[in-house]
Amino acid sequence: MVDTAAPREPLTRTESGPLAVRLRRAGELTREVLRNPTTLMGLIVIVTLISLAFLAPLLTEPNRPDAYQMPRDWGATNAPPGTPGHLLGTTSTGGDVLYGVLWGARTSLRMSLIVVGVTMTVGTIMGSIAGFIGGKVDEFIMRIVDVLLAIPELIFALAIAAVLGPSFANIIFALSVVFWVKYARIIRGQIIHVKHNEYVDSARVIGDSKLNIYRKDVLPNSVTPVVVQATLDMGNIVLVGATLSFIGLAEAGLAEWGVLVSEGQAGISSGRWWASTFPGAMVFLWALAFNLLGDGLRDVLDPRTGGR
Amino acid sequence: MTTLRDDTVATPAKVGNEPVITLRGVEKYFPVREGVFQQVVGHVRAVDNVSFEIPRGQTVGLVGESGCGKTTLGRCIAGLTDATGGGIYFRLSVADRQFLDQVDAIPQEQRTQEQRDRVERLERAHRIDRLKGDAWRTYRRNCQFVFQDAFSSLNPRQLVKDIVGRPLKVYKEASGPGLTERVVGLLESVGLGRQHLYRYPHEFSGGQRQRISIARALALDPEFIVLDEPTSALDVSVQSQILNLLHELQQERGLTYLFITHDLGVVRLMSDDIVVMYLGEVMEHATSEELFASPRHPYTDALLAANPDLLSDGDEDTEMRGLEGTLPDPARPPRGCRFHTRCPVATPRCGWEVDDAVAWLLDNATVLDGLSGVERATDFDSVLRFGDEAAAGEAASLLESSDVPASMRTAMVELGTDGAQLRIRFEEVDAVRLEDVGGGHTTSCILHTSQSAGS
Repeated sequence: MVDTAAPREPLTRTESGPLAVRLRRAGELTREVLRNPTTLMGLIVIVTLISLAFLAPLLTEPNRPDAYQMPRDWGATNAPPGTPGHLLGTTSTGGDVLYGVLWGARTSLRMSLIVVGVTMTVGTIMGSIAGFIGGKVDEFIMRIVDVLLAIPELIFALAIAAVLGPSFANIIFALSVVFWVKYARIIRGQIIHVKHNEYVDSARVIGDSKLNIYRKDVLPNSVTPVVVQATLDMGNIVLVGATLSFIGLAEAGLAEWGVLVSEGQAGISSGRWWASTFPGAMVFLWALAFNLLGDGLRDVLDPRTGGR
Repeated sequence: MTTLRDDTVATPAKVGNEPVITLRGVEKYFPVREGVFQQVVGHVRAVDNVSFEIPRGQTVGLVGESGCGKTTLGRCIAGLTDATGGGIYFRLSVADRQFLDQVDAIPQEQRTQEQRDRVERLERAHRIDRLKGDAWRTYRRNCQFVFQDAFSSLNPRQLVKDIVGRPLKVYKEASGPGLTERVVGLLESVGLGRQHLYRYPHEFSGGQRQRISIARALALDPEFIVLDEPTSALDVSVQSQILNLLHELQQERGLTYLFITHDLGVVRLMSDDIVVMYLGEVMEHATSEELFASPRHPYTDALLAANPDLLSDGDEDTEMRGLEGTLPDPARPPRGCRFHTRCPVATPRCGWEVDDAVAWLLDNATVLDGLSGVERATDFDSVLRFGDEAAAGEAASLLESSDVPASMRTAMVELGTDGAQLRIRFEEVDAVRLEDVGGGHTTSCILHTSQSAGS
């Protein structure tokens, strides 16, 4: 019985329950992710931006009746940054840039969470059906995915949103239609790889049901790339969404970064840089931060680097 | 390790027990697909016409090189993949098996209704691919599998408690604190303990992981376990511990094992019976002592020669040659005896055919650039087309030269050129069969049996 001694940490684990072990493992992973300074920076920026989004109603007086509409101060159009009451200046229509930036963070957070939530769910379900069942079902779903992937996502989303008419809800719908295919493809590839593992055969040998095998063995070992993709998409979606609203596919006057950039662009040539720059910088920071975090997660979670 | 074997020998009471698993002509062919439309162009014969029994409480060793189909056969027996032909039976009595064999010998239309009904009843009750409901669950619970790679056979995201307790949960045998206690009991029976409950598989060494796998296999208290090279991924020192553990568990619980391995040393320690497989077919089947004392197949000789420690004293002056060459393509297995292409004592009647001549030419000749096609009338008779007359003549003279193995040259009954064509005809032989050479020792080698592989 020589080999019964544990290779590492032989004494620390004896009295832990399952929850403590799982929490400790989550803690270890988090520490490992944050050891990379650029990932840490990304996370700090994300936390700041999301805090701003949550604190927006406290930092600025919500507009009535719809807080997501820009308040208009017709007495102070084109005010430069630093004007009392308009810290970041106003637009040519008297919209407060600070209000737009803060409530725009709320809009972006809402948009990216909805779109990522919907696309990740739909994509995971479709990809799981394709990968786990295989055969003709797989062929059918994946050909649809191939067709959708062949169209550039911005153009495709643009087309859908344009057909449906300009509204923020339509942008969210268009993005949801476009972005799920990537998840389907990722999860299908993972599942096809994972389902040939011997632990799947082990579960079959004890006679567990297909659903349980999918739930306990296949899915948990397939999701990490989806988590990474979701993090990256939290940034991408805001980028694409801002582009669509910049082109004019959102309601005019919406407190949204793309709309604000579009509103302010006419003034750039006459020196009124602030109305476009601040919301533009927010889009940049948002997309950058989620990309940094996503890359950091990929480095730690990627199955090719260690099978976690 | 030697004590192990003595124990095994010292339990003659087991002999004559009813089989847990019976294999009757089991086949597993994998289709080979080609082209845009994925047409089936042939079959890889991973397992071909394999029949043997695994008696209760005994260990049957399944030996062969990698690629011989032993793991595929193990997976078929465990129900992980369906056999494409023949039948695998669970708890089929010897009498019933003999009945099935008798009926098989009768042509379909001459069988009586009574015979047909009984066959149907037996198949429904015992053939694993026809078991349903409770019968299937009974088989499923009683037939477990231990994989070679204990790392990939344990879900990396589950804790040891969940892995080992999972079978109990599936059959709703235990839950809550009762489940934990059952798992602790199982872990203790394989030399682990309570302190290992809440750890992940990656925190264990290879030997410990294999212990966890064994604990999981034992959870449902099965009758029968397929052990697929359970020790070949482990260090030698750990290997013997796992083998000892498996042996102790067998003694305690009356387990029946199918022990799959390429290592004759391991199989000798563990097994009562040994089945030697080559290229999907059984070459020899005998008790462990009998097989090591007097092997009756050149392939077994070759495996033994690869492991000189295993030769008993009297064998020292016997000429033993190791294995040369590579495993033939299992999609086109050699005719006659499948081992004849690598057999050191092959005779002209062992199944030499056109493929062997072509393979020999490809290996030994430089002129073969000109070979443009093979038209085969049968596997034993065909015409090779060459680019020009000279190439055909050269190939003919090469095949007539003394470089060609003598047995193959003798088997060639016709060799002649006609322009750029070369006709080769070999003596036709039948497939070899397993024959009893006394005391249940069976071999397929024509040198050791009465069959002359000629037609």
